[in-house]
Amino acid sequence: MKKYLVYILTVMTMVVFGLALNATAEEGVTDTEIHIGQWGPQTGPAAPWGAVARGTDAYFKMINADGGIHGRKLIHHYFDDAYNPAKTKAGVKQLQEDTGMFAWVSGVGTAPGLAVKDYLMERKILWVGPSAGSRHWLEPANKYLFNTYPLYLGDAELLTKYAVETLKLKKIAVVYQNDDYGKQGLEGCEAELKKQGLELAIGLPMNVADVDMKPHIMKLKNSDAQAVLLFVGPGHVARLQGTGKAMQFEPQWMTSTTCGDHPLMMAITKGLYAGTISAAFGLMDPTNIGDIADFNKPTLPAMVKFYNDGYKKFAAKEERWGSTFAAGMGYVEPLIEALKRVGRDVTREKVVAELEKIQNFKSAMGTVSYTAFDANDPLCRIGQQEVFLVRAEPDGTSTILTNWYKTTYIPSGH
Amino acid sequence: MVEFLQMVLSGIAVGSSYALMGLGMVLIYKASEVPNFVQGEMALLPVFISFMLLTSYNVPYYIAFPATLIFAFLLGCFLEFGILRRAKEPNVLGLIIITIGMEMILLGFVSWKFGADQRAMPFPISSYDSIIIGDIFISTLDMLTLVVALVIMLSMFLFFRFSKTGVAMKATQMNENAAALMGIKTKQIRMVAWGISSMVGCVAGLLMAPILVEPYMMWDPMLKGFSGAVVGGMTSLPGAVFGAYIVGIVEHLFGGYVSLEFKSVVAFVIIVIVLCIKPSGLFARHYVKKV
Amino acid sequence: MDMKRDYYEDVRIFTSGAVIFWTGILLLLLAIFPFVAKNYYVYVVNFMAINVIVVVGLNILVGYTGQISMGHAGFFAIGAYGTIVLMTQAHFPFLLALPSAGLIAAFIGFLLGLPALRLEGPYLAIATLGFGITTTQIIGKIQMFGERQGLHAPDLIIGGWHIKTDKDFYFLLIPITIAMVIIARNIIKTKVGRAFISIRDADIAASTIGVNLTYYKTLAFAVSAFYAAVGGGLYAFVLRFIEPELFSMFMSVTFLTMVVVGGLGSIMGSVAGACLLGFLDLQLRNILEIPYFGDWIRMLSESYFTLTGASNIQLIVFGLILIVIMLFEPLGIFGMWIRSKKYWLAWPF
Repeated sequence: MKKYLVYILTVMTMVVFGLALNATAEEGVTDTEIHIGQWGPQTGPAAPWGAVARGTDAYFKMINADGGIHGRKLIHHYFDDAYNPAKTKAGVKQLQEDTGMFAWVSGVGTAPGLAVKDYLMERKILWVGPSAGSRHWLEPANKYLFNTYPLYLGDAELLTKYAVETLKLKKIAVVYQNDDYGKQGLEGCEAELKKQGLELAIGLPMNVADVDMKPHIMKLKNSDAQAVLLFVGPGHVARLQGTGKAMQFEPQWMTSTTCGDHPLMMAITKGLYAGTISAAFGLMDPTNIGDIADFNKPTLPAMVKFYNDGYKKFAAKEERWGSTFAAGMGYVEPLIEALKRVGRDVTREKVVAELEKIQNFKSAMGTVSYTAFDANDPLCRIGQQEVFLVRAEPDGTSTILTNWYKTTYIPSGH
Repeated sequence: MVEFLQMVLSGIAVGSSYALMGLGMVLIYKASEVPNFVQGEMALLPVFISFMLLTSYNVPYYIAFPATLIFAFLLGCFLEFGILRRAKEPNVLGLIIITIGMEMILLGFVSWKFGADQRAMPFPISSYDSIIIGDIFISTLDMLTLVVALVIMLSMFLFFRFSKTGVAMKATQMNENAAALMGIKTKQIRMVAWGISSMVGCVAGLLMAPILVEPYMMWDPMLKGFSGAVVGGMTSLPGAVFGAYIVGIVEHLFGGYVSLEFKSVVAFVIIVIVLCIKPSGLFARHYVKKV
Repeated sequence: MDMKRDYYEDVRIFTSGAVIFWTGILLLLLAIFPFVAKNYYVYVVNFMAINVIVVVGLNILVGYTGQISMGHAGFFAIGAYGTIVLMTQAHFPFLLALPSAGLIAAFIGFLLGLPALRLEGPYLAIATLGFGITTTQIIGKIQMFGERQGLHAPDLIIGGWHIKTDKDFYFLLIPITIAMVIIARNIIKTKVGRAFISIRDADIAASTIGVNLTYYKTLAFAVSAFYAAVGGGLYAFVLRFIEPELFSMFMSVTFLTMVVVGGLGSIMGSVAGACLLGFLDLQLRNILEIPYFGDWIRMLSESYFTLTGASNIQLIVFGLILIVIMLFEPLGIFGMWIRSKKYWLAWPF
């Protein structure tokens, strides 16, 4: 009998403790802190994108220096997953189960994100602003997953539209990276061309490991393409433009948001990038068409503040002020806005409710709006749908070509 | 026809850098009998050193590049002398793992020191100019690579034929004990072979650098060089060069006429086909094992 | 002490009372582990167990038969994709889909073994490496396999047991792992295993005493492909999402590294190598959190290197561990174990 008593007592204490822990506060929120997690590759071939996580880190430190949010400091936990989904899952589990994260922000890459999406959603953990424009986040929509990155489909749509309608070009080609990102570029371009009554000149796949671009350029040349949309990484853009120049093939190059960092692109292409048109999701103010925007001299209020109080004070000394770094702020701003609106009483449900109330929120990125949750409506969690176009100038600045443009959502499989 | 010629020429151009990497691998395979997975990173570190010399210290080219080559030589010697030679009762697989370990260390070191961003390397000639013959283009950088590759191959040939060290190397590789009995310091010879191999790889790296410098830039050329060397037979220097050119040309023709997506794997299909016919590669004499 | 007097003594699993005792302890620890450890560590152990399956299989090929393979990520991918597709498209139950995918991979392994009959050393290395890379390329082209978008694992239900958490999966995975390890050991101790070893030591001599080289070499490939595929099928459910890029050349190289570091030609060595390197692979990302060492690295980064690249210290540490183990002990962890055992048995002499 005594034995049973011991068992019962143990179980009861455990239950009480468990309840007590749950009752006192939401996971990851204490009186003085809110714990927020993030992953991002700091090593491996995808390491250049890891700057997103470091940007978010500087942004949170800036907020903390300004006094935090309603008296609470943001504690940012980010780890290196080397773009390996197995490691992403390991890191997320460890931080979530050992330390307890209130929310996850950003997180570079479609594959790493997909490996942890179910894990986070089953546990009803908030995840804001995955750093990859994928339809996987929206189909089906998830109550706790808020997208901010505009889909690559939209980049391709606007670039194609601009090439056809404004530049009056008829032969459009696409070079796409052989993954979700590149395939979306191809799809978006084809859809827009169909609307315009045109055919794609040629679509060329590119493997991430490819370094020799001559076959691509030869095929592009044979197709007589006048404009080429590049849905590849910055390194491949540099290689393609260099090889193109050497083979005297110089069409209108156009690139997605991932290559929107003009100072970097100008440096690695040794100036060839000048004249390239790229899509942008924010970080600049496109209202005055024809204006010159210099990324190194930000004008948007949010960007100016982040540059002076975040980047200059909290970034490592060799950190480059680039769009990847700055986007680390852009992706997470909706969450911070919701945290500010929700007040002292922070729970996930309340923050979700506040996020759903965000309408036409505009800070560093384009207009962000969410609506009430409906699993069958991807648009309720899409956040931003706007992009604009800029042209790279020889001194690394950008000329604004279009104002914000609201892109169309194409469900997958259409 | 023009298209075909262009592809072949492009294939030869890219084959030249594969050939240099392949030469490096064969030199080491002959000396230490290990497929050298650190070949790419042995070139990577010197390339970054020269990048640093050129951009941070504004050292002129005619000093920076020779200094880099010397550094590469010393690095190669060190890896053999300081690490590989220390292995106790080595077996081939153990040695492979050691080269993989060295590869990780060098790669980690480069990424740690220089960060992950892509960069552009200053170079005396522009990589964007080309020579035009009829309708066929060849970029000046490719032309330079081709010429440098030919010069290195020729000097290699002369080195092994006429210099004392070269002959000693050949002797060591043929029969180490006999060579040692003839008074050749076989250990030193092996170290020098690593140094030379590293230098050859570094030349390839420097010729690839003007297009883009990033920590993971040497993986693909290293694999292709390895493939080329295997097609030619791991123990034959002319074989490695020939194999590398075959890989380069077939890759381009395949990419141009069949499929761009599978271009990067076609090299391995060639290998399997070639090896099924000649198991020790095209140029190496098939070594018949005895009991 | 290690003198074997007859065949039955050689094939016995438990060679002494001590072995029975320690096996019992190990099984007990494995059984209570998920109840005392944090869930995260259960995930890590699951991951390590999968590595154990693959590496034990690869060791049959590399360590016992003397063939090299740098393309086992290919078989791993076939197992992962095969299991999921057989479950979702052909509605096989998991316990049938897993070995079926294994058999498919074994058949492909047999086919790969055919050209490998004529190859050895670096020639075989590069041919198998090509196989690994080509497999993922082909998978990325097939619509049914989700092309480059990847596939999600379906729900896992065996009988009435709905496997959802890492802990549930642990109780499925560990028995499979133990069974696979014991089977591998039994293969080695029987006629087949002796044929493998004789091929490794001297293939021509082996064929003169009647070992069918064609049969046994391809068999070795098939068996190790089966192991890799079973590991792959389980991996798909640990990660619950797979895509072609996962099964890269680096993965193949890591498997080979585990075999060699664990100890060529030793089952227990493979288990140790897979556990050690698998653990490091997942856990090294926290290296900058280690007290003192992490701070020291940060300081060093600030003065001489870059802080943004400080995480690359993982690669350096991993490389150093590989080199140090291989420099001092060609037989890897197993060699160290043997050496220390001999030392203590003979102590104080």
